[in-house]
Formats: sequence, C-alpha cells, structure tokens
Amino acid sequence: MPILALQDVSKDYLSDGQRVQALHGLSLNVERGEMVALVGRSGCGKSTLLNLAGAMDFPTTGSVLLDGVSTSSLKDEELTRLRREKVGFIFQSFQLLHTLTVFENVELPLLLAGKTNVREAACERLAWVELEGLGERYPHQLSGGQMQRAAIARALIHSPIIVLADEPTGNLDTTTGNVILELLLRLTHEKNIATVVATHSLEAAALADTVVRLRDGRIEEITRR
Amino acid sequence: MPRLLLFYQLMVRPLLREPIRAGLTVLAVALGVAVVLAIDLASVAATGSFHSSMEALAGDNDLEITASGGVPEGAVGTLAALPYAIRISPRIEDYALLADTKQSFPLVGLDLVSEGSAYEQDKAGSGGELSSAEAPKDSIEYLEDHESIWVGSSLGRKVGDRVRLLINDRVREYVVRGVYPDSNGNESAIVMDIAAAQQALTRYGRVDRILLKVPQEPNLDEWQRRISAALPAGVEVRPQGTGTNENRRMLAAFRWNLRLLSYISLVVGAFLIYNTISVSVVRRRPEIGIVRALGASRRVILGAFVGEAACFGVAGALIGLPLGRLMATGAVKLMASTVESLYVSSRPGAIELNGASVLLALAIGVGVAVASAYSPAREASLVSPVEAMARGRREYDVSIHKVRDLWLAIMLAIAAAAASRAPAVAGKPLFGYLATILLMVASALAIPAFVSVITAFTSKLLGKLFGVEAMLASRSLAASLQRTSVLVGALSTAIAMMTAVGIMVGSFRQSVVLWMSNELPADLYLRPAGSPAADRHPTVSLGLAEGLAKIPGVVAVERLRAYEIRFQEMPTTLASADLDVLDVVRWYQNSEFLSGRPERQILPELRHSNTVIVSEPFAYKHHLKAGDTITLSLGETQASLRIADVFYDYSSERGSILMDRQTMLRYLPDPAPSNLAIYVSPDARLETVRTEIEKAAAGHRVLLFSNRELRSEAIRIFDRTFAITYALEAVAVIVAVMGIAGALLALVIDRRRELSLLRFLGAATGQIRKLILLEAGLLGLLANLAGLALGFALSFILVYVINKQSFGWTIRFHWPVEILVAALTVVYAATVLAGLYPAQMAVRLNPLEAVHEE
Repeated sequence: MPILALQDVSKDYLSDGQRVQALHGLSLNVERGEMVALVGRSGCGKSTLLNLAGAMDFPTTGSVLLDGVSTSSLKDEELTRLRREKVGFIFQSFQLLHTLTVFENVELPLLLAGKTNVREAACERLAWVELEGLGERYPHQLSGGQMQRAAIARALIHSPIIVLADEPTGNLDTTTGNVILELLLRLTHEKNIATVVATHSLEAAALADTVVRLRDGRIEEITRR
Repeated sequence: MPRLLLFYQLMVRPLLREPIRAGLTVLAVALGVAVVLAIDLASVAATGSFHSSMEALAGDNDLEITASGGVPEGAVGTLAALPYAIRISPRIEDYALLADTKQSFPLVGLDLVSEGSAYEQDKAGSGGELSSAEAPKDSIEYLEDHESIWVGSSLGRKVGDRVRLLINDRVREYVVRGVYPDSNGNESAIVMDIAAAQQALTRYGRVDRILLKVPQEPNLDEWQRRISAALPAGVEVRPQGTGTNENRRMLAAFRWNLRLLSYISLVVGAFLIYNTISVSVVRRRPEIGIVRALGASRRVILGAFVGEAACFGVAGALIGLPLGRLMATGAVKLMASTVESLYVSSRPGAIELNGASVLLALAIGVGVAVASAYSPAREASLVSPVEAMARGRREYDVSIHKVRDLWLAIMLAIAAAAASRAPAVAGKPLFGYLATILLMVASALAIPAFVSVITAFTSKLLGKLFGVEAMLASRSLAASLQRTSVLVGALSTAIAMMTAVGIMVGSFRQSVVLWMSNELPADLYLRPAGSPAADRHPTVSLGLAEGLAKIPGVVAVERLRAYEIRFQEMPTTLASADLDVLDVVRWYQNSEFLSGRPERQILPELRHSNTVIVSEPFAYKHHLKAGDTITLSLGETQASLRIADVFYDYSSERGSILMDRQTMLRYLPDPAPSNLAIYVSPDARLETVRTEIEKAAAGHRVLLFSNRELRSEAIRIFDRTFAITYALEAVAVIVAVMGIAGALLALVIDRRRELSLLRFLGAATGQIRKLILLEAGLLGLLANLAGLALGFALSFILVYVINKQSFGWTIRFHWPVEILVAALTVVYAATVLAGLYPAQMAVRLNPLEAVHEE
C-alpha cells in the first residue's frame, strides 16, 4: 500500500470571484523509502499538491489517501492527529521560531502532541542531521544550512511516515542546498520514510528516486530511477 | 492635495482594513477625552453653582456686611444714620425645603417695601432679578404679610398657589404672591419679607447679611474703612461676592484632585496610542523603505505617522465630546452631593458644552495622540531605505535598553521619594503630584527589565504547569519586549491607580469608622429634617430639647449648636457641645487628639472658658497647634480663644472649632440647638425611649437616628462621595483592557505566520486559542504584579502627602484586602476575556496563506 495516494485529484480555488483550477485529475502514489521531486514552473501546482498531501487542504474532487486513510473523511481533530503522527513539514524559509532554542524548536511537534520527556528524541534527531552540540543555540545563531537541518530534525521528531518539503533549498546556496538534499535522501532511505520535495532545483531532481514534472496543474511526466 | 491622497492611500486605508483594532484605539482616546471633559463640565456645573441663588438675588451691590451668628439688626439703623448716600439691603439667608417634593431652595428674606422703592428709584435698571418680577399690582399689599412668598418661575408655581415649606424643624404654609423669571433653575429661590423670614427662622434681632450700594467715589477700600469704623468690632465689611470667592478657593483642592484623577484614563490612552503607532511603524517598515527610496523625506515619514495619530485623536475627540457630555450628567450628581456634604450648599448648574469644551476635547485628543506617537514616528523617519526594505520582520526590541532604563527608573524613584517629602506649595501638593508622575515614569521604564526577568525565569515553569502553549506564550511576550512592555505599562498604570486609590479610600473609610466609634457616644441623635449640607445649620426648637430631657429613660440631652463662620477668609464651622452633660454620661477612653492626651483631660479645660479645640483640617489649613490663640468675630465682639488641642475629624474638610455651649452663648446668645445627642440609661429599653421621643417630637420635622443608623448613614455618604473616584478608575481600566484587546488583535495579525506554522506542526485549533488566551492572561498577570507594586508605592503618596496637603486629614494606613482582591480579579478576568476575540481570529487564520506568503 502506498504511503500517499492521490487518486484523480482536482483542486479549484476562487480568486477574486473567478474559479481557478490548480490541479486537474492528478493521480500519484508515493511509497516508503522513496524520495519524490515535484518540479515545474511557479504556479504549476507543486505547493497545492503538498498541501493536499499533508492534509492541510482538501481536494475539490478525487481523494487523497494518507497511509490508507482518506483525508476528506476526517474531522478537524482527526486531521490534527494525522499530521501530528504521520506528516513532517519542511519549508523554504526554515520557519523556526526565533524565540525558542534549537532543542525547543525540534521538540515542538512532540510537545504540541502532549508528549513529555522529549529531550532524548530531540538529541537523537539532531544527531541524525549532524547538529549535535547546537541544541541550546537560538536560530539566529545558526547558518542557513544549520537552520534547515534543524528544520529537518523537527520534521522527523515524531517519526512521520512522510516528509513534505516545499523548496527546502530555496534559501540556501548551491553547495549547502546539495548537502541538505543528500541528507534528506539519506534519511529517506535509512528511516524508510517517504519524502516529497517541491523544487525548482535541478540538483534535487537529479537526486530524487522519482521526478514528477507538473505543468498547469497536470502531471506532464513521471520519471522513476 | 497629492500628499493628502498619498496619506489616505498609505496611512488611512490600512487602518480601515482593520476596523476593530482601529476602532478600539479610537474608543480608548474617546474614553480618555470623555472622562476629562465630563469631570471638567461636571465640576463647573456642580461647584460653580453654589453661589448662584444667593448672588443672583444680590443685585449690583458693592459691599456686604456679615458677622458670625448674624449681624445685629441695629447695624441697619447705624448705617442709615451715616451721612452717606448708600443703599442698604439687609437680608436673611437660609434654606427651605418644599415639604411635598423635598426639594431644597434658598430662602431669602428681604425688606420688600424699602427695597422695592429703592429699586424703583434706581432707574439704572441694574437692580437684579427681583426688579423684573412679574408681581401683580395687588401683590404689593402682601409685602409685609408673613404668609406671602415670591418664587422663581422654574418652581412651576403660580400666583395664589399654597406652598408648604419646611424651615428648621417646622412645616409652614405660604401663599405665592408673585413669580419672578429666573434665568435657569439654579437661580430660583423663595423670597419673603425679612420679618417673616426672621419669624420663620426664629432669628430675631439679627440679619444674615447687609448688602450695600455705595457711590463710586471714593474708592471701595475707603468705603470699607469708613463703614467698618461705624460698626461693632465683630462685624466684617468686605466686597460683595467675597464669600463666593472663598468658597471657590475652598473647593480648589477637591476640583484639582478630581481633575488630576480624570487624566489617568488619558495617560493609559497615551500608552495605547504609542503602541498602535509602534505596531503601524513595524508593519510598514518595507513600505517606509519603498517611499523613502522613491524620494520621500524623513519629515514626510514623520508627518505621516504623526498624522495617523492625529486622525485617531480627532476621531477620539469627536466621539469623546458627546460621550463626555453624557458622562457629565452622572458625574455632576455625584460631585454636587459631595460638595454639599463636605463643603457648601450647592445645586448642580446646567452642563454647558460650549465652544471652549469642543476645543478642549480636540486639544486633549489630538495633543495626547500626537505626543504619544511622536517617538515611534520619529523612529520610523530615521529608518534607512535599505534597512527598511530588508527582508524579514524586525522585532520591537531593537531600541530597548533595559539596563539603562532600569537605572534611570531607580533614579526617578529616588527623586520621587525626595519630592514626596517636600511641603505643599500655596496649599497644593504640587510635589506630591510630581512624585506620583515620577513614580509612574519610573515604573514604565522598569517594566521591560521586569518583564524580561519574570518571563525568563517562569517560561519553563509555565510550560510544565500549563503545557507547551504557556511556554510559547511566555517566550512570545518576551520576544516582543517593547510591545509587551507598553501594554503592561498601560494596564499596570490603570491597576496601580486603582490600587492606590483603593488603598487610600479604604484607609480613609477605616479611619472614619474607627473615629466614629469614639466620636458618637450618644444612643440617639436628632436633627431637623432636610439635606445636611456642610454649611447649613438649621435649628431644633428649644422646647423640644427640654421636653426630651424629661422622658423616662433619657439620662441627658446634649445640645449641639453650629454656625457657619469665616476665619482668615476661609469658611469654617463653629460648634458648641454641652460639656455639662459629661457629668452624667460615660467617657470614652480612646484618645482622638493629635497630642494623644485623653479626652477626660482636655474637655474639662473648655468648660465655661475661652478655650476651644479645633479639628485637624482646620489646624492644618491655618497652621495652628495646641497652645495657639485664635481671634474670632463672634456677634458684636472679637473673642480670643486658646486652642487646648487638635482633634481628629473626618466629618468635613472645611474644618471646625469646638467650644463649650456656655462659652458660645456668651457671644451668640441664640439657645436653639442644631442637633441633639440623647443618652439613654443602660437600664431603659432603647426602642421604648425612641418611641417616646418620636411621640414628643410629633409636629416637628426632625430626623431621629440610632447610633448605628447614624454611622451607617455616614458611611453611605462616604461611599457616595468616593463613587466618582471608583468610576474614574473603572474607565481607566476599561481603556487599558480595550488596549489589550486591540494589541492582541495586532499580535495575532503580526504572528499569523508563526501561528500557522504551529498548525503545520500539529497544533490543534484549541491549542492556538489557548496560546492567545494564555498571552492575555500573562499580560494581565504581569500588569497586575507591576500595578500592585506601583499602586502600593503611590498609595503612600496619596495617603501621606497628597491627601494630607490637600485636605489636612491624617489617615491610618489600611489594606482593603477584599476590595483589592475582588477588583484585581475582575481586571484579570477582563484581560483574559479581552483575548477571546483575538484568539478566535487566530483560530480562523488560514495556515496555508500565512506560511506560503513569504
């Protein structure tokens, strides 16, 4: 069973009273241990697809199955629980809370889920992203690459089955960006999770197990390696 | 014009997109303006009217002749015999109650026959209201009729109506013989012939005032000297209206303190304007950068933000005007009753919202808004275009210098302590006010350090106690230190004033309660019915007092008499007590004298001698102490009186002098008492004695109080007196809580990215709501802590400096714990409730839009 299954998904928005179709009848399966790169021009529907995959939004038609569960059938509390347990998010601008230390940022999803004694897990995840010893620092004391590593550690803290990354290298230089992508790929394989990366980066596309090329809300091409 | 268009596009339009937040800021200014305006209008209406009835009927006279206990009637003859062309108008002046409506009106007794002809002869036509009386021709024949009265048209009576008047303790019936037009209801009075008034008031052989119209040459001082020389020593000649001016001076402290208290809401409003403009500046930093890069000068940026604040000020003033007028209606009733019970007879005048009031409101609204916005506006103008357009949101704490500000706060607090030790300036506690302002500024400066320390030490603990949301709330407040500090500053200022005034009033109340337990030793008290104004001393029939003494079970009837007199150009009360009664009634052990000497030792010194005791406010106002000698004009003589001691007294701010009844009768021989204190035998049943007294007093309009009832009544008047201060505090707190609501709304809008991120990271909507409510709760907690500390310090200044220097009362410090806890709980609950709408807004945020908009 795929971790993520999009079945004939369409998504419409109303913009200034006009109906805008962001995704058209799109179907895609993502398996454990697979890193999928979503590529395409701005506005092609990459972010919309990620939002649907992360149960942050719902399809207009079709269905999104996350670990076999249709997101459209869930109530708000169930969706929150689904995200808490199964989805990790990574953002282009890191989105770390500057009022919290690295440890506290990483621990946040577990704390929001009401877990206690989370420091050990945070230390472990920081070790995964090679940030040992930086846990007490604040985000502004880190480099861009370090901040994105911390964001990856946070995305993995609750052992999700899928990580959704929206332009994770968009704010980084090429070298640092490549390091981050390699780290994501390594963790995807080592931890047997699924990772979906929306990107403009050719390097990301070159590293990914599967490349999905989107154009005007439709899948133009799927390339598997 | 293009600039105005730009101002609208860049400054006004964004405000319209957040109508609730902008509305709250405008409302905060409006409330501040309204309160100041209300107190201003109300104090003019309530305290400006005390002169109106008597003075409006006084005409265009130049001099007035008065004497303690009344001017001997013979003085009229003496004056008439003088070889000068002077117009002499003797008059009796007191108050009467309409028996059916209980409305109180000045009662003026005039020599209607001679005054009528004098006015007739005075073709200048400046003879005062009575000259225009609509008296029918046949009313002339009633001029000297003792049942005839003339009334102002605002009383709504017509010629021939029968009116029952309560004068002293008797109800008498009169016939309206004429109605004169009074310009407004405050100037209406009941006029009767002077002989009829003397009879009704049993004031034979004396008049209250003689008004004189003298020729223009020589000057008034010379006329004053000439006429004084012709009259007995105890009689005072002074320019007409002096009493009004003295009253006005006496009320100055009351008006000052109330007015200053009304500024608190404005100060709190200023904090909130500062916060609103700061938020505006931070949010628009990129826009500032763009318009600066496109050629806007620093001055344009400064002007834009100051202009934004001015818009708030104008809008607030325009709403504050009608609101203030409305509030004034309520305030004037409270103030008038306070003026009457503590100072002088008064009826509220009309509230006049004139051009000056409109200008005052606009000046206050715009002035406060612009002044409080100047600092953030200047900061905006100093931002360089590159810095402003840089990506990312700069937090407020850029310009926070916590440690420097803390040191400054400590120095200001020391300066406040020094200022609080300084004496009053011209009777006003100017240094006390300065100390208050310094302490408030010190507190505002210390708050960033206070917030930092508290949040740093408690965020983890809060996280453990209330979950991760509490930790996030605490960190968020600490991160937005400037904004948090301003909000805590605003709310804590309101709480501090509430606490300080609460402690002051609570201490005062407790002092009064303790004092009454010693000052009211009798079992029953009797006084004429009618309003007990501080300057009115209606009398009880002498026969009634004598009759009551014979009732079985009555041990003694103490006859107390009071007169309104003037000492060193200030009104005061001269009272006498029947010290012979002390031979048969119990003594009270607790000393209520400043010296600490017991009553048993001091009061015997007063018996039958020219020795008096004076109240603390009297001693304070006139810089007197035990052992000093004062000279009073009593009747026709000047009496030198030694002060045996100074007694605590909270019944009137005017101050009083107390002497033995026998001593008073030597100078002022009218034996009728103003009040009776009745001592009942411990063996008799109080209720039975009371019933007998009521039977004996049938036919007299008197009020009989038991000791407990009198105390309750006194406390009721006390609470009513301070109701307005509580109302002012409440408005300040409402303004602050509105500010918290507005600021939390801004906080939610500014932190929508962060709040949305939490949704991505697994936060439930309930957790987002909890986070905002916890922030509100934390703000409330920080403000309560800071406000309590500041309030405690301010209460010392209020109790020991401002109160003492304004009114002369010694108040014993007392913590009104229940009131403070209840008030702080209400404020805290209101603060948390103020977070409800912002919390709901936070829950409704679309996380997708917020996170991806970067």
